[in-house]
Amino acid sequence: MGRFLFGRLMQSLVLLWLVSMIGFAILHLAPGGPLSQFIAGGNLNADDIARLMAQYGLDRPLPVQYLEWVGRFLIGDWGNSFRDQQPVTAIIAGHIGATLELMLTSTLLSILIGGTIGIIGAVRRYSIFDTVATIGAMIALSIPTFWFGLAVIYVFSVDLGWLPAGNRQTMGHGSFLDRVHHLIGPCIVLALVSTAIWSRYMRSSMLDVINQDYIRTARSKGVPPFQILTHHAVRNALLPMITITGLHVPALLGGALVTETVFTWPGMGRLFLDSVSYRDYPVVMGILMFSALMVLIGSLLADLMYALADPRIRGAGR
Amino acid sequence: MKQDDPMQIQEPLLMLSRRGLIMGGAALMAAGTLGLPRGAAAQSAPAGQAIIGFSQEVTVLHPLMSHNEVDQGVFWNLYSTLWAAGPDGTLVPVLAKALPTVENGGLSADGMTWRIELRDDVKWHDGTPLTAADIKFTIELVQNPEFRAQGRNGYTQITDIAVEGDHVITWKLKEAFAPLISVLGWMFVVPSHILSKVADPNDPAFAAAPVGTGPYVFAERQTGNYVSLKANPDYFGTPAYLDTLIFKYIPDLNAMYTQFKTGEIDYIGLQGIPANFYDEAKSLPDRAIYEAPRGAIENLTLNLSHPALSDKAVREALYMAIDKTAIIDLVYYGVHKPAATFLSSAHWAYNPDLAPHEYDLKKAAAHLDSAGWVIGADGIRVKDGVRLSFSNSTTTGNQLRAETQQLLADDFKKIGVEMTINNMVAAVLWADFWKNSEFDSLMTGTVYTIAADPDVTHRFGSAAIPLEVGSGSNVSRYKNPALDALLLQGRTEFDHDKRKAIYFQVQAMIRADLPFLPLFDTIQLEGTVKGLDGYAYNMNTLCNTWNAASWKKTI
Amino acid sequence: MTTTTSFIPARKPGLLHRVPALRRFVRHRLAMTGLAIVLLMTLFSVVGPWVIPFNDTDTDIRSRLVAPFAGVHVLGTDSLGRDTLARLMYAGRISLAVGLSATVLSMGVGVLVGLVAGFYGRWVGMVLMRFVDAMMCFPTIFLLLAIAALIDPSVGSIIVLIALTSWMEVARIVEAQIRSLRTRDFALAAQSIGAGSGRIMFRELLPNAVAPIVVAATLNIAHAILAESYISFLGYGIQPPTPSWGNMLENAQSYLSRAPWLAIVPGIAIMLVVTSFNFIGDGLRDALDPKLDR
Repeated sequence: MGRFLFGRLMQSLVLLWLVSMIGFAILHLAPGGPLSQFIAGGNLNADDIARLMAQYGLDRPLPVQYLEWVGRFLIGDWGNSFRDQQPVTAIIAGHIGATLELMLTSTLLSILIGGTIGIIGAVRRYSIFDTVATIGAMIALSIPTFWFGLAVIYVFSVDLGWLPAGNRQTMGHGSFLDRVHHLIGPCIVLALVSTAIWSRYMRSSMLDVINQDYIRTARSKGVPPFQILTHHAVRNALLPMITITGLHVPALLGGALVTETVFTWPGMGRLFLDSVSYRDYPVVMGILMFSALMVLIGSLLADLMYALADPRIRGAGR
Repeated sequence: MKQDDPMQIQEPLLMLSRRGLIMGGAALMAAGTLGLPRGAAAQSAPAGQAIIGFSQEVTVLHPLMSHNEVDQGVFWNLYSTLWAAGPDGTLVPVLAKALPTVENGGLSADGMTWRIELRDDVKWHDGTPLTAADIKFTIELVQNPEFRAQGRNGYTQITDIAVEGDHVITWKLKEAFAPLISVLGWMFVVPSHILSKVADPNDPAFAAAPVGTGPYVFAERQTGNYVSLKANPDYFGTPAYLDTLIFKYIPDLNAMYTQFKTGEIDYIGLQGIPANFYDEAKSLPDRAIYEAPRGAIENLTLNLSHPALSDKAVREALYMAIDKTAIIDLVYYGVHKPAATFLSSAHWAYNPDLAPHEYDLKKAAAHLDSAGWVIGADGIRVKDGVRLSFSNSTTTGNQLRAETQQLLADDFKKIGVEMTINNMVAAVLWADFWKNSEFDSLMTGTVYTIAADPDVTHRFGSAAIPLEVGSGSNVSRYKNPALDALLLQGRTEFDHDKRKAIYFQVQAMIRADLPFLPLFDTIQLEGTVKGLDGYAYNMNTLCNTWNAASWKKTI
Repeated sequence: MTTTTSFIPARKPGLLHRVPALRRFVRHRLAMTGLAIVLLMTLFSVVGPWVIPFNDTDTDIRSRLVAPFAGVHVLGTDSLGRDTLARLMYAGRISLAVGLSATVLSMGVGVLVGLVAGFYGRWVGMVLMRFVDAMMCFPTIFLLLAIAALIDPSVGSIIVLIALTSWMEVARIVEAQIRSLRTRDFALAAQSIGAGSGRIMFRELLPNAVAPIVVAATLNIAHAILAESYISFLGYGIQPPTPSWGNMLENAQSYLSRAPWLAIVPGIAIMLVVTSFNFIGDGLRDALDPKLDR
């Protein structure tokens, strides 16, 4: 087990290094640069711009810039934002809470709703409920998230006035209930896709379990069906779901980006979008690395759970 | 929308009266916030908050570093300047006791020696008194070539800065430079006692914990989200009415308007309410909507080194083929005002007697015919092997500009001119593409002035072409020696009325040459919730939160 | 490699299997519905513009934001007075073409990478697959945005952009298939009679991996059409005046309260087509792999 873990960790480090090279190459090959925001103001001369380029080190060859970045990254200096000169680590730290809040609540919501739909679908296989759930899940996976989000805002905020139109809290009045109120809209929107995914996976996982011998044995022994469901089937069907959740991190991060944009939610996703449009390289790199880290941790946990559940894999380590 | 709301009938009345009040009282209020001595009437302690919505993010809180418009909106509340311009353009002393004039000895007769006396009751937010050394440090910081300054226009002329005691500062100019007084109206003074101790002038620490002398002190910020300020109890002028100002960043204009509508924000500022919501916004209950001129002129910036656009007849014909009324009324819902020059019609140096613009496609076509441009096989005119075709670029994602481009292209096509559309993201457009004049034409909203001074040497002077000399903003590559001479005259003339006459001539000359085609004078639709009083727009600043210290909540 | 369909006329051993697969697919009701909708929408987009009296770029700003079913414009007009129905059709051509082309391209890249990695194994496979893993560490939308900053938004570049962010899944699938297939008897036999690597890869191994590739390709079209709309929404999409379902949705945002049909119409088009492709993909998976019948 220890060797497996060590191998996976090493692999993750190599991946992180590759991620940093790919990310850096993509960003710095792009035309334009972080100084354009200042030029747009019209107050900078070309010689000012050249001087700023030199001061920020943007005039050096790319490999040199990359190595400098790696060197500082390793000692925890992720650079400063071009926009407000603040350290990238501090900026990410200031946004990660909002994103995690959104991701965790919506994941919880989708597990509850999607899981329940999946269980019922498996138990009542091919029933009307099952068919409707299947089609519904497919449609949910096909709706552009932002479109759904805009519809939620339009109907529930503008028309009915039930929900706030965005933000994480009323500015200056951050009570707990106020924050929950603000969370409802984005949470529902982000949960849409994961609920669909969860219901699909849960259904097939349940079908697997229901057809296992020990369920048949329990049933033949006369254990009440509901008890079989709660005590045996659901518990065992949930195990592979943890793996799914771990592997679902990238999709969730992407969904969070869109949802945060629609609801002006001050999280990492929106920060990323803004930083890309400003060509704020240090922040974009920071977020790319951070999200890659989250993705890797997610898949590491997924692998770990899988390994724990399936002893055959422990020695192999792929 | 509630069509039969009885409130709607009264709404325009309410708006009218409030706007009248604000415009009338603006100068008075400007004086109030900009540091005149405290009135005798005791003012109650600051209370309440205003949430200010911007679609642009507040970036740098160091007021001398490269920054954007909304940053300045924060600076006005956090820092102070020597003097500042109110909505009518009149300068009002702030940190200075009086404006320097020849009469009061502040200016020598030739305008080359300046002497400024400062107020002696000003304290920094940390309690240290402000002295002339702070002014000296501020000017020298901008002059420091290592410093990432916003711009050095004017500052490079200042030399021999000397401090007399704690509250008098003097300097000399290398060359006469009349716009300096406007430039200094945007010089937010920074604390010498903090910044002179930092070795690296670009150290970001100060921007993270800024210290100023303004009516508000810095409270907290969250990058990409908001900046909040608290009232300064020791402010030297009339203290702020509101206890808290929150500058909230909402990246999308539609989302910002929605949040203004649903009451998430109290004031909707830059970039304002999208024009297509104008009618709806006016009918909102409990909201006041303002048409604030921005000083920005929406225009087609032409590249005069383009083989077709270098022909003045082509530029004239294009100008005749622009249906400004249709653009303003149909695309922009009648919000903006037609523009004739590089200055807003509200500017003190605006020339109202320029040759009028007329939309006439037949005349435009005839003009091109007589200039020798003949229609080719594909319907596009040709002259000496040059096709009358050019591209137009603007930043992506601006829907109304994209619509305008299509209207223009349609009209141009009718006179045998092809305008293709080549839009790009801001970070690409505002880079080499702009700086090295790689475009054929641009559609942008340009503030041609610096600190609202009518001097436009950096925009139209032949020594300000960045591609050729590495500095300046004359990306049209426009060269006119007669104009250069006139601009020099304007820069060295200190008399207000004489300067005005010079800039009238400058505008007439540019109107004749058409290095750019003015479309409209940008009006920004801003709004406040009912009960937030004291708002006044001021096109001599970049952002209308300039007087947020005199905003108050009455409900 | 030109299109994925060129893989289908494959080797003999597969042919017998595929007949019951086809039968299973035809019986899959949702998949057939999906196929019908996709065919209808394609017909609508390709033939439609010749039938209706409007085109997608004729502006008539004086009759803008006309509501649907109110006059000559069946689905109303947009903010420039352009006919929404005509724009929907032209946009359909673009969006479907983007979906298909991006899929062809990403399948090409993915299959090639997977094939080479799976066949050669060792360090070639290692390096290639670690690169695939690294690319998959980026959330797709983050990657789309970062690369979108690189390019000028045009139809061609958007296709490349979407393909660049969606080839990795296929590479993984193909690599796994090929890795297990290359030790099978028929591959070893081909090798022993001196067949070249290219021949073994493309003639012996690849045809046996067609089933999962076809399924992945179908789902990929759905993904690509959705991706186009996301890029448009985030401001990096295909630029006007070229219409796409994505940028129609984006433009509709300013008129949600005045002209909601501008958002509803393209939204439904996207949803219909994407759902249909997902159904088809599902049907194909069930048909091609009976073990996965769920």
